Amino acid sequence: MATTAAPAGGARSGAGPEWGGFEENIQGGGSAVIDMENMDDTSGSSFEDMGELHQRLREEEVDADAAAAEEEDGDFLGMKGFKGQLSRQVADQMWQAGKRQASRAFSLYANIDILRPYFDVEPAQVRSRLLESMIPIKMVNFPQKIAGELYGPLMLVFTLVAILLHGMKTSDTIIREGTLMGTAIGTCFGYWLGVSSFIYFLAYLCNAQITMLQMLALLGYGLFGHCIVLFITYNIHLHALFYLFWLLVGGLSTLRMVAVLVSRTVGPTQRLLLCGTLAALHMLFLLYLHFAYHKVVEGILDTLEGPDIPPMQRVPRDIPAALPAARLSAAVLNATAKAVAVTLQSH
Amino acid sequence: LELGINFDHIWQKTLTVLHPLKVADGSIMNETDLAGPMVFCLAFGATLLLAGKIQFGYVYGISAIGCLGMFCLLNLMSMTGVSFGCVASVLGYCLLPMILLSSFAVIFSLQGMVGIILTAGIIGWCSFSASKIFISALAMEGQQLLVAYPCALLYGVFALISIF
Repeated sequence: MATTAAPAGGARSGAGPEWGGFEENIQGGGSAVIDMENMDDTSGSSFEDMGELHQRLREEEVDADAAAAEEEDGDFLGMKGFKGQLSRQVADQMWQAGKRQASRAFSLYANIDILRPYFDVEPAQVRSRLLESMIPIKMVNFPQKIAGELYGPLMLVFTLVAILLHGMKTSDTIIREGTLMGTAIGTCFGYWLGVSSFIYFLAYLCNAQITMLQMLALLGYGLFGHCIVLFITYNIHLHALFYLFWLLVGGLSTLRMVAVLVSRTVGPTQRLLLCGTLAALHMLFLLYLHFAYHKVVEGILDTLEGPDIPPMQRVPRDIPAALPAARLSAAVLNATAKAVAVTLQSH
Repeated sequence: LELGINFDHIWQKTLTVLHPLKVADGSIMNETDLAGPMVFCLAFGATLLLAGKIQFGYVYGISAIGCLGMFCLLNLMSMTGVSFGCVASVLGYCLLPMILLSSFAVIFSLQGMVGIILTAGIIGWCSFSASKIFISALAMEGQQLLVAYPCALLYGVFALISIF
Protein backbone atom coordinates (compact mmCIF):
# COMPACT_ATOMS: atom_id res chain seq x y z
CA MET A 1 0.00 0.00 0.00
CA ALA A 2 2.89 2.35 0.73
CA THR A 3 4.30 1.86 -2.75
CA THR A 4 1.06 2.77 -4.43
CA ALA A 5 0.62 5.75 -2.18
CA ALA A 6 3.90 7.27 -3.27
CA PRO A 7 3.17 7.55 -6.99
CA ALA A 8 -0.24 8.93 -6.16
CA GLY A 9 1.38 11.58 -4.04
CA GLY A 10 3.86 12.25 -6.80
CA ALA A 11 1.09 12.50 -9.34
CA ARG A 12 -0.66 14.90 -7.08
CA SER A 13 2.18 17.29 -6.90
CA GLY A 14 2.45 16.96 -10.65
CA ALA A 15 -1.16 18.06 -11.02
CA GLY A 16 -0.41 21.55 -9.97
CA PRO A 17 1.44 23.63 -7.44
CA GLU A 18 -1.72 24.19 -5.39
CA TRP A 19 -1.75 20.56 -4.31
CA GLY A 20 1.88 20.60 -3.26
CA GLY A 21 0.89 23.11 -0.61
CA PHE A 22 -1.26 20.53 1.11
CA GLU A 23 1.60 18.19 1.79
CA GLU A 24 3.60 20.88 3.46
CA ASN A 25 0.64 21.76 5.60
CA ILE A 26 0.05 19.88 8.86
CA GLN A 27 -3.31 18.93 7.58
CA GLY A 28 -1.56 17.39 4.58
CA GLY A 29 -1.60 14.18 6.62
CA GLY A 30 -5.34 14.25 6.09
CA SER A 31 -5.01 13.76 2.38
CA ALA A 32 -2.60 10.87 2.88
CA VAL A 33 -5.14 9.26 5.20
CA ILE A 34 -7.77 9.59 2.55
CA ASP A 35 -5.37 8.09 0.12
CA MET A 36 -5.00 4.98 2.29
CA GLU A 37 -8.72 4.67 2.66
CA ASN A 38 -9.12 4.79 -1.04
CA MET A 39 -6.50 2.11 -1.38
CA ASP A 40 -8.35 -0.08 1.10
CA ASP A 41 -11.14 -0.97 -1.21
CA THR A 42 -8.96 -2.29 -4.01
CA SER A 43 -9.06 -5.81 -2.69
CA GLY A 44 -8.91 -7.24 -6.20
CA SER A 45 -6.10 -7.65 -8.66
CA SER A 46 -3.50 -5.09 -9.50
CA PHE A 47 -5.52 -4.31 -12.60
CA GLU A 48 -8.03 -2.72 -10.37
CA ASP A 49 -5.34 -0.76 -8.62
CA MET A 50 -4.07 0.62 -11.90
CA GLY A 51 -7.55 1.31 -13.07
CA GLU A 52 -8.28 3.06 -9.79
CA LEU A 53 -5.09 5.01 -10.14
CA HIS A 54 -5.85 6.21 -13.63
CA GLN A 55 -9.37 7.10 -12.70
CA ARG A 56 -8.24 8.98 -9.65
CA LEU A 57 -5.59 10.83 -11.65
CA ARG A 58 -8.23 11.97 -14.08
CA GLU A 59 -10.59 12.94 -11.29
CA GLU A 60 -7.89 14.80 -9.50
CA GLU A 61 -7.10 16.78 -12.61
CA VAL A 62 -10.72 17.78 -12.80
CA ASP A 63 -10.73 18.49 -9.08
CA ALA A 64 -7.54 20.46 -9.36
CA ASP A 65 -9.07 22.67 -12.04
CA ALA A 66 -12.13 23.20 -9.90
CA ALA A 67 -9.97 23.76 -6.86
CA ALA A 68 -7.88 26.28 -8.77
CA ALA A 69 -10.99 28.32 -9.45
CA GLU A 70 -12.06 28.06 -5.82
CA GLU A 71 -8.57 28.63 -4.48
CA GLU A 72 -8.64 32.20 -5.71
CA ASP A 73 -11.76 32.87 -3.69
CA GLY A 74 -10.23 31.05 -0.75
CA ASP A 75 -7.11 33.16 -0.84
CA PHE A 76 -9.26 36.20 -0.94
CA LEU A 77 -11.00 35.12 2.27
CA GLY A 78 -7.74 34.36 3.99
CA MET A 79 -6.97 31.43 6.29
CA LYS A 80 -10.60 30.72 7.23
CA GLY A 81 -11.53 30.30 3.57
CA PHE A 82 -8.57 27.99 3.13
CA LYS A 83 -9.74 25.61 5.86
CA GLY A 84 -13.26 25.71 4.43
CA GLN A 85 -11.83 24.68 1.08
CA LEU A 86 -10.03 21.77 2.70
CA SER A 87 -13.08 20.46 4.47
CA ARG A 88 -15.06 20.69 1.29
CA GLN A 89 -12.40 18.83 -0.64
CA VAL A 90 -12.26 16.18 2.05
CA ALA A 91 -16.00 15.72 1.96
CA ASP A 92 -15.92 15.60 -1.81
CA GLN A 93 -13.29 12.89 -1.86
CA MET A 94 -15.12 10.81 0.71
CA TRP A 95 -18.24 11.07 -1.41
CA GLN A 96 -16.39 10.02 -4.54
CA ALA A 97 -14.80 7.07 -2.78
CA GLY A 98 -18.10 5.96 -1.35
CA LYS A 99 -19.84 6.30 -4.68
CA ARG A 100 -17.17 4.26 -6.43
CA GLN A 101 -17.40 1.51 -3.87
CA ALA A 102 -21.17 1.40 -4.03
CA SER A 103 -21.31 1.29 -7.82
CA ARG A 104 -18.76 -1.51 -7.91
CA ALA A 105 -20.68 -3.55 -5.35
CA PHE A 106 -23.91 -2.92 -7.23
CA SER A 107 -22.55 -4.02 -10.57
CA LEU A 108 -21.16 -7.14 -8.95
CA TYR A 109 -24.22 -8.32 -7.02
CA ALA A 110 -27.06 -6.91 -9.04
CA ASN A 111 -25.82 -8.42 -12.24
CA ILE A 112 -28.84 -10.50 -13.15
CA ASP A 113 -27.35 -11.38 -16.49
CA ILE A 114 -25.94 -14.53 -14.95
CA LEU A 115 -29.50 -15.83 -14.81
CA ARG A 116 -30.13 -15.08 -18.47
CA PRO A 117 -29.47 -18.57 -19.90
CA TYR A 118 -32.01 -20.12 -17.54
CA PHE A 119 -34.86 -18.13 -19.05
CA ASP A 120 -34.24 -19.09 -22.64
CA VAL A 121 -37.27 -21.29 -23.25
CA GLU A 122 -40.08 -21.75 -25.70
CA PRO A 123 -43.75 -22.27 -24.92
CA ALA A 124 -43.71 -25.81 -26.29
CA GLN A 125 -40.84 -26.75 -24.00
CA VAL A 126 -42.58 -25.33 -20.94
CA ARG A 127 -45.78 -27.13 -21.82
CA SER A 128 -44.08 -30.48 -22.27
CA ARG A 129 -42.15 -30.08 -19.01
CA LEU A 130 -45.34 -29.26 -17.15
CA LEU A 131 -46.98 -32.41 -18.40
CA GLU A 132 -43.91 -34.52 -17.71
CA SER A 133 -43.81 -33.34 -14.12
CA MET A 134 -46.89 -35.44 -13.48
CA ILE A 135 -45.56 -38.63 -15.05
CA PRO A 136 -43.23 -40.70 -12.89
CA ILE A 137 -40.60 -42.58 -14.87
CA LYS A 138 -39.75 -46.07 -13.73
CA MET A 139 -36.22 -46.15 -15.07
CA VAL A 140 -34.03 -45.57 -12.04
CA ASN A 141 -30.88 -47.30 -13.15
CA PHE A 142 -29.15 -44.33 -14.63
CA PRO A 143 -29.56 -40.63 -13.97
CA GLN A 144 -32.62 -39.02 -15.45
CA LYS A 145 -32.30 -35.69 -17.19
CA ILE A 146 -33.54 -32.58 -15.41
CA ALA A 147 -34.13 -29.42 -17.39
CA GLY A 148 -32.22 -26.61 -15.74
CA GLU A 149 -34.45 -23.67 -16.35
CA LEU A 150 -36.02 -21.17 -14.01
CA TYR A 151 -38.88 -19.69 -16.03
CA GLY A 152 -41.31 -22.55 -15.46
CA PRO A 153 -40.66 -22.93 -11.73
CA LEU A 154 -40.82 -19.17 -11.15
CA MET A 155 -44.13 -18.88 -12.97
CA LEU A 156 -45.51 -21.84 -11.05
CA VAL A 157 -44.55 -20.28 -7.73
CA PHE A 158 -46.25 -17.04 -8.74
CA THR A 159 -49.31 -18.99 -9.85
CA LEU A 160 -49.41 -20.67 -6.47
CA VAL A 161 -49.23 -17.23 -4.84
CA ALA A 162 -52.16 -16.06 -6.96
CA ILE A 163 -54.21 -19.16 -6.13
CA LEU A 164 -53.44 -18.74 -2.43
CA LEU A 165 -54.52 -15.11 -2.58
CA HIS A 166 -57.73 -16.12 -4.28
CA GLY A 167 -58.33 -18.78 -1.65
CA MET A 168 -57.63 -16.37 1.17
CA LYS A 169 -59.99 -13.81 -0.28
CA THR A 170 -62.81 -16.29 -0.78
CA SER A 171 -62.43 -17.64 2.72
CA ASP A 172 -62.10 -14.15 4.23
CA THR A 173 -58.86 -14.92 5.97
CA ILE A 174 -57.70 -12.17 8.27
CA ILE A 175 -53.96 -11.98 8.81
CA ARG A 176 -53.24 -10.10 11.98
CA GLU A 177 -49.59 -9.30 11.66
CA GLY A 178 -48.67 -8.64 8.07
CA THR A 179 -50.55 -8.53 4.85
CA LEU A 180 -52.32 -11.13 2.73
CA MET A 181 -49.94 -10.58 -0.15
CA GLY A 182 -46.89 -10.80 2.07
CA THR A 183 -48.06 -14.03 3.67
CA ALA A 184 -48.82 -15.67 0.35
CA ILE A 185 -45.53 -14.66 -1.23
CA GLY A 186 -43.59 -15.58 1.88
CA THR A 187 -45.18 -19.01 2.14
CA CYS A 188 -44.67 -19.98 -1.48
CA PHE A 189 -41.21 -18.59 -2.02
CA GLY A 190 -40.15 -19.78 1.39
CA TYR A 191 -41.22 -23.30 0.54
CA TRP A 192 -39.61 -23.29 -2.90
CA LEU A 193 -36.29 -21.82 -1.85
CA GLY A 194 -36.13 -23.28 1.62
CA VAL A 195 -37.04 -26.86 0.84
CA SER A 196 -34.85 -26.82 -2.28
CA SER A 197 -31.88 -25.73 -0.21
CA PHE A 198 -32.64 -28.27 2.48
CA ILE A 199 -32.98 -31.15 0.04
CA TYR A 200 -29.85 -29.96 -1.77
CA PHE A 201 -28.02 -30.06 1.53
CA LEU A 202 -29.32 -33.57 2.21
CA ALA A 203 -28.35 -34.58 -1.32
CA TYR A 204 -24.88 -33.31 -0.61
CA LEU A 205 -24.77 -35.47 2.52
CA CYS A 206 -26.16 -38.48 0.68
CA ASN A 207 -23.81 -38.01 -2.24
CA ALA A 208 -26.54 -37.55 -4.81
CA GLN A 209 -25.72 -36.04 -8.17
CA ILE A 210 -27.86 -32.98 -8.38
CA THR A 211 -27.06 -29.30 -8.60
CA MET A 212 -28.88 -26.50 -6.85
CA LEU A 213 -30.35 -25.25 -10.12
CA GLN A 214 -31.69 -28.69 -10.94
CA MET A 215 -33.17 -29.04 -7.48
CA LEU A 216 -34.89 -25.66 -7.80
CA ALA A 217 -36.26 -26.63 -11.21
CA LEU A 218 -37.42 -30.06 -9.99
CA LEU A 219 -39.23 -28.74 -6.95
CA GLY A 220 -40.66 -25.85 -8.93
CA TYR A 221 -42.23 -28.14 -11.48
CA GLY A 222 -43.44 -30.32 -8.63
CA LEU A 223 -45.60 -27.40 -7.54
CA PHE A 224 -47.69 -27.85 -10.69
CA GLY A 225 -49.63 -30.60 -8.96
CA HIS A 226 -50.18 -28.36 -5.93
CA CYS A 227 -51.54 -25.59 -8.16
CA ILE A 228 -54.05 -27.92 -9.80
CA VAL A 229 -55.27 -29.43 -6.54
CA LEU A 230 -55.63 -26.10 -4.78
CA PHE A 231 -57.30 -24.43 -7.73
CA ILE A 232 -59.98 -27.10 -7.81
CA THR A 233 -60.50 -27.57 -4.10
CA TYR A 234 -60.56 -23.89 -3.15
CA ASN A 235 -63.63 -23.62 -5.35
CA ILE A 236 -65.30 -26.94 -4.57
CA HIS A 237 -65.24 -27.44 -0.83
CA LEU A 238 -65.51 -31.19 -0.55
CA HIS A 239 -63.16 -32.83 1.86
CA ALA A 240 -63.34 -36.26 0.25
CA LEU A 241 -62.52 -34.72 -3.10
CA PHE A 242 -59.54 -32.98 -1.60
CA TYR A 243 -58.17 -36.19 -0.07
CA LEU A 244 -58.61 -37.96 -3.38
CA PHE A 245 -56.74 -35.27 -5.27
CA TRP A 246 -54.13 -35.03 -2.55
CA LEU A 247 -53.29 -38.67 -2.95
CA LEU A 248 -53.62 -38.85 -6.72
CA VAL A 249 -52.19 -35.62 -8.07
CA GLY A 250 -49.91 -34.83 -5.16
CA GLY A 251 -48.76 -38.40 -5.13
CA LEU A 252 -48.00 -38.41 -8.85
CA SER A 253 -45.84 -35.31 -8.75
CA THR A 254 -44.08 -36.54 -5.62
CA LEU A 255 -43.43 -39.90 -7.25
CA ARG A 256 -41.89 -38.18 -10.24
CA MET A 257 -39.52 -36.15 -8.08
CA VAL A 258 -38.68 -39.19 -6.01
CA ALA A 259 -37.93 -41.27 -9.11
CA VAL A 260 -35.58 -38.60 -10.42
CA LEU A 261 -33.77 -38.39 -7.12
CA VAL A 262 -33.53 -42.16 -6.75
CA SER A 263 -31.99 -42.40 -10.21
CA ARG A 264 -29.30 -39.98 -9.07
CA THR A 265 -28.49 -41.52 -5.69
CA VAL A 266 -26.55 -44.63 -4.80
CA GLY A 267 -27.26 -46.74 -1.74
CA PRO A 268 -30.56 -47.74 -0.15
CA THR A 269 -30.20 -45.74 3.07
CA GLN A 270 -29.38 -42.56 1.25
CA ARG A 271 -32.22 -43.05 -1.19
CA LEU A 272 -34.63 -43.66 1.64
CA LEU A 273 -33.52 -40.62 3.59
CA LEU A 274 -33.58 -38.23 0.66
CA CYS A 275 -36.78 -39.38 -0.95
CA GLY A 276 -38.61 -39.88 2.30
CA THR A 277 -37.87 -36.34 3.38
CA LEU A 278 -38.89 -34.86 0.04
CA ALA A 279 -42.09 -36.88 -0.16
CA ALA A 280 -43.09 -35.99 3.39
CA LEU A 281 -42.42 -32.28 2.95
CA HIS A 282 -44.15 -32.08 -0.41
CA MET A 283 -47.31 -33.86 0.65
CA LEU A 284 -47.51 -32.11 3.98
CA PHE A 285 -47.17 -28.72 2.31
CA LEU A 286 -50.22 -29.40 0.18
CA LEU A 287 -52.13 -30.51 3.25
CA TYR A 288 -51.09 -27.39 5.09
CA LEU A 289 -52.06 -25.06 2.23
CA HIS A 290 -55.50 -26.56 2.03
CA PHE A 291 -56.34 -26.59 5.69
CA ALA A 292 -54.71 -23.36 6.76
CA TYR A 293 -57.23 -21.36 4.78
CA HIS A 294 -60.12 -23.76 4.93
CA LYS A 295 -60.66 -23.88 8.68
CA VAL A 296 -61.64 -20.24 8.62
CA VAL A 297 -64.61 -21.03 6.42
CA GLU A 298 -65.74 -23.71 8.81
CA GLY A 299 -65.22 -21.44 11.78
CA ILE A 300 -67.51 -18.86 10.27
CA LEU A 301 -70.09 -21.48 9.39
CA ASP A 302 -70.09 -22.84 12.92
CA THR A 303 -70.71 -19.45 14.44
CA LEU A 304 -73.52 -18.77 11.98
CA GLU A 305 -75.37 -21.89 13.06
CA GLY A 306 -76.48 -20.93 16.55
CA PRO A 307 -77.02 -23.06 19.66
CA ASP A 308 -79.48 -25.65 18.35
CA ILE A 309 -77.07 -28.02 16.68
CA PRO A 310 -76.59 -31.58 17.85
CA PRO A 311 -73.01 -32.10 19.05
CA MET A 312 -72.37 -34.54 16.18
CA GLN A 313 -72.31 -31.72 13.68
CA ARG A 314 -69.54 -29.86 15.41
CA VAL A 315 -67.21 -32.52 14.09
CA PRO A 316 -66.13 -30.70 10.86
CA ARG A 317 -63.37 -28.89 12.72
CA ASP A 318 -61.74 -32.15 13.72
CA ILE A 319 -61.59 -33.68 10.31
CA PRO A 320 -57.81 -33.32 9.90
CA ALA A 321 -57.38 -35.56 12.93
CA ALA A 322 -58.67 -38.50 10.83
CA LEU A 323 -61.96 -39.62 12.34
CA PRO A 324 -64.12 -42.62 11.39
CA ALA A 325 -65.74 -42.64 7.99
CA ALA A 326 -69.33 -42.33 9.21
CA ARG A 327 -68.69 -39.06 10.96
CA LEU A 328 -66.62 -38.02 7.99
CA SER A 329 -69.41 -38.48 5.50
CA ALA A 330 -71.92 -36.72 7.76
CA ALA A 331 -69.53 -33.87 8.24
CA VAL A 332 -68.80 -33.68 4.53
CA LEU A 333 -72.48 -33.42 3.71
CA ASN A 334 -72.91 -30.83 6.41
CA ALA A 335 -69.96 -28.80 5.25
CA THR A 336 -71.19 -28.73 1.66
CA ALA A 337 -74.71 -27.84 2.70
CA LYS A 338 -73.46 -25.05 4.90
CA ALA A 339 -71.15 -23.75 2.20
CA VAL A 340 -74.05 -23.62 -0.24
CA ALA A 341 -76.20 -21.86 2.36
CA VAL A 342 -73.55 -19.29 3.04
CA THR A 343 -73.01 -18.52 -0.61
CA LEU A 344 -76.73 -18.18 -1.15
CA GLN A 345 -77.00 -15.89 1.86
CA SER A 346 -74.20 -13.65 0.75
CA HIS A 347 -75.96 -13.03 -2.55
CA LEU B 1 -46.32 19.45 -26.88
CA GLU B 2 -44.50 21.87 -24.60
CA LEU B 3 -45.17 19.55 -21.70
CA GLY B 4 -43.73 16.63 -23.61
CA ILE B 5 -47.13 14.96 -23.82
CA ASN B 6 -47.74 13.86 -27.35
CA PHE B 7 -51.50 13.38 -27.58
CA ASP B 8 -51.35 11.65 -30.91
CA HIS B 9 -49.06 8.96 -29.56
CA ILE B 10 -51.17 8.51 -26.45
CA TRP B 11 -54.24 8.06 -28.61
CA GLN B 12 -52.43 5.59 -30.87
CA LYS B 13 -51.26 3.51 -27.95
CA THR B 14 -54.74 3.51 -26.45
CA LEU B 15 -56.18 2.27 -29.73
CA THR B 16 -53.56 -0.47 -29.89
CA VAL B 17 -54.68 -1.66 -26.48
CA LEU B 18 -58.36 -1.47 -27.31
CA HIS B 19 -58.13 -3.48 -30.53
CA PRO B 20 -56.56 -6.73 -29.40
CA LEU B 21 -56.34 -8.12 -32.90
CA LYS B 22 -54.70 -5.09 -34.43
CA VAL B 23 -51.01 -5.58 -35.13
CA ALA B 24 -48.84 -3.37 -32.94
CA ASP B 25 -46.18 -1.08 -34.32
CA GLY B 26 -42.85 -1.70 -32.62
CA SER B 27 -41.72 1.89 -32.78
CA ILE B 28 -44.51 3.46 -30.75
CA MET B 29 -42.86 2.38 -27.57
CA ASN B 30 -39.69 4.26 -28.28
CA GLU B 31 -40.53 7.25 -26.16
CA THR B 32 -41.74 6.16 -22.78
CA ASP B 33 -44.52 8.35 -21.57
CA LEU B 34 -45.98 7.88 -18.15
CA ALA B 35 -48.75 10.45 -18.41
CA GLY B 36 -51.25 8.02 -19.89
CA PRO B 37 -50.56 5.20 -17.41
CA MET B 38 -50.78 7.62 -14.49
CA VAL B 39 -54.20 8.74 -15.66
CA PHE B 40 -55.34 5.14 -16.05
CA CYS B 41 -54.12 4.18 -12.58
CA LEU B 42 -55.98 7.12 -11.09
CA ALA B 43 -59.09 6.24 -13.04
CA PHE B 44 -58.84 2.65 -11.79
CA GLY B 45 -58.54 3.85 -8.21
CA ALA B 46 -61.46 6.20 -8.75
CA THR B 47 -63.73 3.46 -10.05
CA LEU B 48 -62.76 1.29 -7.10
CA LEU B 49 -63.62 4.21 -4.85
CA LEU B 50 -67.04 4.43 -6.46
CA ALA B 51 -67.57 0.79 -5.56
CA GLY B 52 -66.72 1.54 -1.97
CA LYS B 53 -63.19 0.20 -1.81
CA ILE B 54 -60.58 2.69 -0.73
CA GLN B 55 -57.52 0.83 -1.98
CA PHE B 56 -55.27 3.31 -3.71
CA GLY B 57 -52.36 2.02 -1.67
CA TYR B 58 -52.83 -1.53 -2.90
CA VAL B 59 -53.13 -0.38 -6.53
CA TYR B 60 -49.90 1.60 -6.43
CA GLY B 61 -48.05 -1.00 -4.40
CA ILE B 62 -49.00 -3.86 -6.66
CA SER B 63 -48.30 -1.87 -9.82
CA ALA B 64 -44.85 -0.91 -8.55
CA ILE B 65 -43.90 -4.45 -7.58
CA GLY B 66 -45.47 -5.89 -10.72
CA CYS B 67 -43.60 -3.46 -12.96
CA LEU B 68 -40.35 -4.31 -11.23
CA GLY B 69 -40.97 -8.02 -11.66
CA MET B 70 -41.87 -7.70 -15.34
CA PHE B 71 -38.84 -5.46 -15.86
CA CYS B 72 -36.49 -8.11 -14.46
CA LEU B 73 -38.19 -10.91 -16.38
CA LEU B 74 -38.20 -9.08 -19.72
CA ASN B 75 -34.58 -8.09 -19.32
CA LEU B 76 -33.72 -11.73 -18.76
CA MET B 77 -35.80 -13.03 -21.63
CA SER B 78 -35.09 -10.56 -24.40
CA MET B 79 -31.97 -10.12 -26.48
CA THR B 80 -31.97 -6.37 -26.15
CA GLY B 81 -32.69 -4.93 -22.76
CA VAL B 82 -35.71 -2.88 -21.87
CA SER B 83 -36.01 0.20 -19.72
CA PHE B 84 -38.17 0.39 -16.65
CA GLY B 85 -40.10 3.33 -18.05
CA CYS B 86 -41.08 1.34 -21.12
CA VAL B 87 -42.37 -1.56 -19.03
CA ALA B 88 -44.31 0.73 -16.71
CA SER B 89 -45.78 2.57 -19.67
CA VAL B 90 -46.98 -0.57 -21.47
CA LEU B 91 -48.43 -2.15 -18.33
CA GLY B 92 -50.15 1.11 -17.47
CA TYR B 93 -51.78 1.41 -20.87
CA CYS B 94 -53.01 -2.15 -20.81
CA LEU B 95 -54.76 -1.44 -17.52
CA LEU B 96 -57.49 0.28 -19.54
CA PRO B 97 -59.79 -2.77 -19.93
CA MET B 98 -59.44 -3.39 -16.18
CA ILE B 99 -61.05 0.03 -15.65
CA LEU B 100 -64.04 -1.24 -17.60
CA LEU B 101 -64.21 -4.22 -15.24
CA SER B 102 -64.07 -2.15 -12.09
CA SER B 103 -66.67 0.28 -13.37
CA PHE B 104 -68.90 -2.69 -14.09
CA ALA B 105 -68.29 -3.79 -10.50
CA VAL B 106 -69.71 -0.48 -9.27
CA ILE B 107 -73.17 -1.43 -10.39
CA PHE B 108 -73.22 -5.22 -10.49
CA SER B 109 -71.49 -7.66 -8.19
CA LEU B 110 -68.81 -9.73 -9.84
CA GLN B 111 -69.10 -12.75 -7.64
CA GLY B 112 -71.37 -14.88 -9.77
CA MET B 113 -70.66 -16.97 -12.85
CA VAL B 114 -71.14 -13.95 -15.15
CA GLY B 115 -68.58 -12.07 -13.10
CA ILE B 116 -66.05 -14.86 -13.33
CA ILE B 117 -66.40 -15.18 -17.09
CA LEU B 118 -66.20 -11.42 -17.58
CA THR B 119 -63.15 -11.18 -15.33
CA ALA B 120 -61.39 -13.99 -17.14
CA GLY B 121 -62.13 -12.34 -20.49
CA ILE B 122 -60.85 -8.94 -19.38
CA ILE B 123 -57.68 -10.42 -17.88
CA GLY B 124 -57.07 -12.25 -21.13
CA TRP B 125 -57.63 -9.06 -23.12
CA CYS B 126 -55.22 -7.02 -20.96
CA SER B 127 -52.45 -9.58 -21.00
CA PHE B 128 -52.86 -10.28 -24.71
CA SER B 129 -52.45 -6.59 -25.57
CA ALA B 130 -49.53 -6.15 -23.21
CA SER B 131 -47.71 -9.17 -24.57
CA LYS B 132 -48.44 -8.09 -28.13
CA ILE B 133 -46.82 -4.70 -27.55
CA PHE B 134 -43.87 -6.20 -25.69
CA ILE B 135 -43.28 -8.77 -28.42
CA SER B 136 -43.30 -6.20 -31.20
CA ALA B 137 -41.13 -3.75 -29.28
CA LEU B 138 -38.54 -6.32 -28.20
CA ALA B 139 -38.62 -8.58 -31.26
CA MET B 140 -39.25 -11.77 -29.30
CA GLU B 141 -41.18 -13.90 -31.76
CA GLY B 142 -42.67 -17.15 -30.59
CA GLN B 143 -42.59 -16.17 -26.93
CA GLN B 144 -45.85 -14.28 -26.75
CA LEU B 145 -47.45 -16.85 -24.46
CA LEU B 146 -44.44 -16.77 -22.16
CA VAL B 147 -44.75 -13.00 -21.82
CA ALA B 148 -48.54 -13.04 -21.62
CA TYR B 149 -48.67 -15.41 -18.65
CA PRO B 150 -46.91 -13.20 -16.08
CA CYS B 151 -48.97 -10.24 -17.32
CA ALA B 152 -52.08 -12.34 -16.77
CA LEU B 153 -50.98 -13.09 -13.20
CA LEU B 154 -50.41 -9.39 -12.55
CA TYR B 155 -53.75 -8.33 -13.96
CA GLY B 156 -55.36 -11.21 -12.11
CA VAL B 157 -54.22 -9.68 -8.84
CA PHE B 158 -55.69 -6.35 -9.94
CA ALA B 159 -58.93 -8.11 -10.76
CA LEU B 160 -58.91 -9.69 -7.29
CA ILE B 161 -58.87 -6.19 -5.85
CA SER B 162 -61.84 -5.27 -8.01
CA ILE B 163 -63.89 -8.25 -7.05
CA PHE B 164 -63.28 -8.48 -3.33
